[in-house]
Amino acid sequence: MDRRTVLSVLGAAVASLLVAVPAGEAQKPIKVGFPMIMSGPGALFGEPAAKGAQMFVDEANAAGGVLGRKLELVVRDTKGNADEAVRVSRELILRENVDFLVGTLTSAEGPAVSVVAKENKIVFIAPIPKTDQLTAPDKLHPYVFRVASTTTIEGRTAAELMSKWNVKRIATISPDYAYGQDVTKAFVDYVKKLKPGVEIVDQQWPKLGEADYTPFINAQMVKKPEAVFSSLWGGHFVTFAKQARPLGYFDAIKHNFFGAGEAASPETAKAMKDDYPFGIWGNSYDAFYWTEGPPAHREYVRRVSAYLKDEHPSSWAIQGYIGMQALTAAIKKANSTDSDKVARALLGLTIDTPHGKLTIREKDHQANRAQIYGKTVKDPKLGFAVMRPAVYIDPAKFMD
Amino acid sequence: MPDPSFLFAQALSGLTVAMFLFLIASGLSLIFGVLRVLNFAHGSFYMLGAYLAWQFVQWVGTGPGRFWWAAAGAAAGIAVLGGLVERLLLRHLYGKDELYQLLFTYALVLILSDVAKVAWGTGQLSVSRPPGLDGAVRLAGTVVPYYNLFILLLGPAIAVAFWVVLYRTRAGRLIRAAALDREMLGALGTDVNRLYTGVFVLGSFLAGLGGALVTPVKTIVPGMDVEIIVEAFIVVVIGGLGSFWGTFLGALVYGQVLSFGILVIPRFSIFSVFALMAVVLILRPWGLLGRPLR
Repeated sequence: MDRRTVLSVLGAAVASLLVAVPAGEAQKPIKVGFPMIMSGPGALFGEPAAKGAQMFVDEANAAGGVLGRKLELVVRDTKGNADEAVRVSRELILRENVDFLVGTLTSAEGPAVSVVAKENKIVFIAPIPKTDQLTAPDKLHPYVFRVASTTTIEGRTAAELMSKWNVKRIATISPDYAYGQDVTKAFVDYVKKLKPGVEIVDQQWPKLGEADYTPFINAQMVKKPEAVFSSLWGGHFVTFAKQARPLGYFDAIKHNFFGAGEAASPETAKAMKDDYPFGIWGNSYDAFYWTEGPPAHREYVRRVSAYLKDEHPSSWAIQGYIGMQALTAAIKKANSTDSDKVARALLGLTIDTPHGKLTIREKDHQANRAQIYGKTVKDPKLGFAVMRPAVYIDPAKFMD
Repeated sequence: MPDPSFLFAQALSGLTVAMFLFLIASGLSLIFGVLRVLNFAHGSFYMLGAYLAWQFVQWVGTGPGRFWWAAAGAAAGIAVLGGLVERLLLRHLYGKDELYQLLFTYALVLILSDVAKVAWGTGQLSVSRPPGLDGAVRLAGTVVPYYNLFILLLGPAIAVAFWVVLYRTRAGRLIRAAALDREMLGALGTDVNRLYTGVFVLGSFLAGLGGALVTPVKTIVPGMDVEIIVEAFIVVVIGGLGSFWGTFLGALVYGQVLSFGILVIPRFSIFSVFALMAVVLILRPWGLLGRPLR
């Protein structure tokens, strides 16, 4: 065979491939763009969230897909940066031709990507960002939805729990950016309303990612609070607690400490083991040891544990999972992948999540998503802190 | 006027920050002073030092003395890594445009952060304070953790050791000579290549040691490499790039400004540090104790 023949055979092969494509058109997968933090400190949450979404996709495809089509998840790294999140979301829409967006993590990324969704008229479901701004009346548009909790829900839940403690002098310590400020304000306003006698004696605002909390801890201890509300999250809480404990901080407030921002997540507890300030209160999106939870949750934990090959699976996988669950339920209800129809289907949609029924409200596109709260104790068998009892607190009364 | 014991506590906490930063920035400054390479990957060596320390603690356990073996092992491991990087890669870029060296060390940052992610995942890792240093002592009305005291003593000890090596030994004379005139030193029969490797190994060792020693007070997470390199750069810019005592002074100033900044303008504590850096850059672009570039 001379070169010319080879080339013409190749050409014919390529041509036949090109012709074959339209035949597969009907079976084209439903593409979902998933902008998420996959590098840097935020990857701690972003990566398991993406895996949770992928697990849902794999399970749905194994069961025959959605509307007879396979789901395909296209994950892009936002690097925890709102500009980058906007850039990759545009790329997902324009180059990857995704049908929908599910994703973003920080309270800066969520609202930024929401604008992209509005411009491109594409449904965007936020599974993690909590800032109230995302679904505030002036920011709301037909295509943005949230299945995460909100700063209002989280701050008010903490306030209600703390209002039952026998304390008057309350202090706060939170990272100085949108999430920390919003959740702290929600907490302070609500705890004052529930218990008019309380006094906010001190508020510390370390920058996000502060390396040394000692100056803030010293400054706070001088004010002699009886209880503290904090929204230092993830690794920031670990660093803070490791520095606060030897200073006698937790003993001075008799462990009357409320760690919002998932300070009681299994990941944090597992990382700190015996360094954890046992006895404080905290919350988490999920907890594999939540045996009081519904049977569907126990079943989910079994699956996610096998999927992640981790006997103590991440508490963040569930957010990606629920995000995809809401989207597919809406696609089925709309019987279409048209964003306008799916957006309408999402209004008032109720889904059965591993944490129970979740409904997306029509008026603000916000799901009644709560978190698990509890007082921490050391579990002798696991060797790290668990919330016991762990309680999923219904957010309905905190949402307006 | 705040309580004096509180001011004391703030000053001590600023000093602790300063000593950690000195440990890391001194290696950065040393490598720049001698090799004239701005090593962006210095922060990555620090991060890997922290991860290695955690890994060694998992292997050797947490019994008495075990942490120190883990920390020493981590620092030694990073020193070896630094040696390999200099010998096998960086060496080919000497004498080339500085831009190539910058690009190379920046590429290292990206590669090493992915290596850490593959090896240790994205989860947060934590190391306990070593037994014996896990308590605290009351000093002048404030509580000071033993581990912080240890760091407060270690910083100056390393500074003095450094000074002795640089100014009282033959190796130190060679290092200082190499910083001033590399060609002349080579012409006089010194193996400059070996000297460069030695300096890079020493600088990497300090970065690895800093990373290992910071684990009992901080969380090990991806991204700690970039965080520290920014702080280390601020320190050396304030103190003077390549100046040994300048780095020490820069670290002290950084720590105190940060500590007392939160008393004056609590929500802008980091701002005061950047403002200080800007002022130094305007008035003395070569840093407080640096020498103007010829």
